Amino acid sequence: MLTLASMKMFMRQREAILWTLLFPLLVVILFGFVRFNGVGSIGLGVVNEAGATGADLLARIKSVRTFEVTEGTRESEMGELAKGERDLVLLIPAEYAPATSAEMTAYGDLEAKPQVTQLGGLVLQRVLDESAFAGAPGLRRTALSTLPFKSRNLTYMDFLLPGILSMSIMQMGIFGVAFGFVSLKKRGILRRLWVTPIRPNDFIIAQVAMRLLVLLLQMTIMVGVGILFLNLHFIGNIALIYLMGILGAVVFLGFGFSLAGISKSEDQVAPLANIITLPMLALSGIFFSRSNLPGFVRSITSVLPLTYLADGLRSVAIDGATLAQVTPQILGLVLWGVVSCALAVRLFRWE
Amino acid sequence: MTESRNIVLDVQDLVKRYGAITAVDGVSFSVRAREIFGILGPNGAGKTTTLECIETLRPVDAGTILLNGLNVRTQSQEVKRIIGVQLQSSSFFDKLSLAELLVLFGEMYGRSVDPLALLDEVELRDKSRAQVVQLSGGQKQRFSIAAALVNDPVVIFLDEPTTGLDPQARRHLWGVIKRIRSEGKTIVITTHYMDEAEELCDRVAIMDAGKIIAMAPPQEMITTLLAGGFRKEKVERLASLEDVFLSLTGHTIRDE
Repeated sequence: MLTLASMKMFMRQREAILWTLLFPLLVVILFGFVRFNGVGSIGLGVVNEAGATGADLLARIKSVRTFEVTEGTRESEMGELAKGERDLVLLIPAEYAPATSAEMTAYGDLEAKPQVTQLGGLVLQRVLDESAFAGAPGLRRTALSTLPFKSRNLTYMDFLLPGILSMSIMQMGIFGVAFGFVSLKKRGILRRLWVTPIRPNDFIIAQVAMRLLVLLLQMTIMVGVGILFLNLHFIGNIALIYLMGILGAVVFLGFGFSLAGISKSEDQVAPLANIITLPMLALSGIFFSRSNLPGFVRSITSVLPLTYLADGLRSVAIDGATLAQVTPQILGLVLWGVVSCALAVRLFRWE
Repeated sequence: MTESRNIVLDVQDLVKRYGAITAVDGVSFSVRAREIFGILGPNGAGKTTTLECIETLRPVDAGTILLNGLNVRTQSQEVKRIIGVQLQSSSFFDKLSLAELLVLFGEMYGRSVDPLALLDEVELRDKSRAQVVQLSGGQKQRFSIAAALVNDPVVIFLDEPTTGLDPQARRHLWGVIKRIRSEGKTIVITTHYMDEAEELCDRVAIMDAGKIIAMAPPQEMITTLLAGGFRKEKVERLASLEDVFLSLTGHTIRDE
């Protein structure tokens, strides 16, 4: 009943509705209109089946700054291409020999990414030519043919929406709880509650339950609006989405309660909450893919809770990942959940 | 003694320290059923801390507090069920109407309450759909008392209920408090207004620096003082400025 009352209070706060339910949606829609046209780096997957023979070519390709090169097996790279994670995949066949092979093949989604695919093809051809002439001038030119490959044609929206969903889960957990509780504390509302027989834990449970309910509602709305109006390529299991959302919420609620514990006023909450959330917003791949980050930063950011949440939601929503496939993310969230809840238990104070 | 059976609150040698400061230093008093008992004293005398110890809000360092026979230190949950509390400077949830708040508070005691009847008690029926933020100071205090009544408590604690109110609102609140007592409640009130204590309280305890320095019915205290040869330097006029104020502005409360 306290949950219901809390829910009622929450729903009557126009600002809260605006910030929790509408703002994330607004961000998604606004960013959805922005088209990132300019070609930045080209994500090139290289499948080197020629071993050492292909090494020289590979090194030359890597020296081209336009390419963001990833190496992998044929299967994995083609899989990434299908997901839209690569712009182009080059196959260096086992029989490849510099300056003798006549042909080589690259794959790219010509329909969805015509510019990037064509530009990538041209640059690759140049590299192949250089490689051929460097060995023994006048030998045979290896012609690159770019074959069309149908990727799932995922848009920026498909990337963005799960990210924004993760962001709003984090904001609700950290800002919502920290500000909410500090205000209840400061205004003496909690003291008034403690002279009634209600137990503090029941109150916390009600608060958490209320927020999880709001969260489920929010996830449903966001995914629904995404599918209906924003052309979201949602192929995931919605139950898994809810599960990950709730896990993420628990992590950030824990941090929220910790902050509420160590802060005496709203003025103290704000900077602390920002210190925690802003770096994650920037680095956890919410708005932009983490693949653009320098290597060492990328490895640090891959263990952030928001990264686990965003990556997990994204794989489930648009790649249709199964429970087994997002186990690393779920484990990551569970670990963070243990950390944040332990912290909350230590730091949370009623007075 | 028959009187001892009527004692609903018994505080013995209560001590409460905050670090090096002893806020309440060996306080003892008892309150009889249907009594309005006042705790007077300047700010920082330890009135609020004493109340908070009784209300189970603060752990006690030494002494015993029995409320209706229940030990506050060991049976706090049971004690909470039979007390009604109005805290100094505490607020209520936003976004719920007065009626909804009373229902919610009732549910915390596992009771279903009639919010309108409670609001009648403090003359706020017409505000049942309003939220606390929309109330005036006097109305807030009255609502606070209504919220303290949801569990039909044995003892009600009022911590400086009239601080900051205008003379009309104070008098109105006194009327509410007297009526609640007439309905069989025991009331413990803190104040630093002497006129309030004289008007409302059957007995008062005067606290200073964490100790009770005097305890008796107000009239008895005055008689004792006069008997000791005390005379005011300026003889009391037959009317005070407050009487002037009230005769000019009337007794009707202005906060509605």
